[in-house]
Amino acid sequence: MAAKKSEEEDSGEFADFMADISQEIAQRVESLDAAPKAQPEPKKATPLPRDAGLILEWENLPDRMIEEMR
Amino acid sequence: MSVVNYGTREITCKIVYYGPGRSGKTTNLQHIYSQLPEERKGKMVSLATETDRTLFFDFLPLDLGTISGFATRFQLYTVPGQVYYAATRKLVLQGVDGVVFVADSQSRQLAENIESLQDLHANLADEGLDPRTIPLAMQYNKRDLPASEISPIDELDETLNFRGVPYFAANAINGGGVFETLRSIASMVLARLSAPAAKES
Repeated sequence: MAAKKSEEEDSGEFADFMADISQEIAQRVESLDAAPKAQPEPKKATPLPRDAGLILEWENLPDRMIEEMR
Repeated sequence: MSVVNYGTREITCKIVYYGPGRSGKTTNLQHIYSQLPEERKGKMVSLATETDRTLFFDFLPLDLGTISGFATRFQLYTVPGQVYYAATRKLVLQGVDGVVFVADSQSRQLAENIESLQDLHANLADEGLDPRTIPLAMQYNKRDLPASEISPIDELDETLNFRGVPYFAANAINGGGVFETLRSIASMVLARLSAPAAKES
């Protein structure tokens, strides 16, 4: 329990950031989706995705980037 | 770089932390990385010299998951601040969607801040990007230093922030102001999704 609480505290800033960004993206996507249809849809809150914060491991990324820059 | 791709339902944002050497760009990314949930930490690519200065660039990929049906990814970069890495800075700026300018608040670093800002503008122009309109946030870092060593925020803002973009006081080494800055630039970049020019993908 203590470990879980500590983990939540550690990721607090990121969780707040995710919540804000999720809301921002939801609003933007809705506005873009609504434009071609010309019929506005009611805005709805988007819950934080379960995989929020996942960082993909991109193998050999530094090598690839350096190679591209040559 | 396209910000939104309707075909693949992806949103990708490239944000570059720019500023003079030792201003705290890498420290910003390190703090963001430190705040990620432990079980989901991936790799932060950082190429540094033995003196801890960024040699090439830092790269922190953030996959935010699927939001409103779009796979959302932020790519955070820093550039090497030292003047002799000009070519690297130009390369890292390619396809940038938003810039955080990390200024060193120390009074003796004011000239370096100005020089770096001019360098940013020149490199953006070379990339065909308008320095007057690209999403930009200013961060005045190292506010934790003694008042006698740093310039007042108002003075820094008057000198550096000619566009009047959002600005943030920060002490990145302790995390202060880091996420506020990131949230601001992310919001500005995302706001462009609704602009006609940003729909190209």
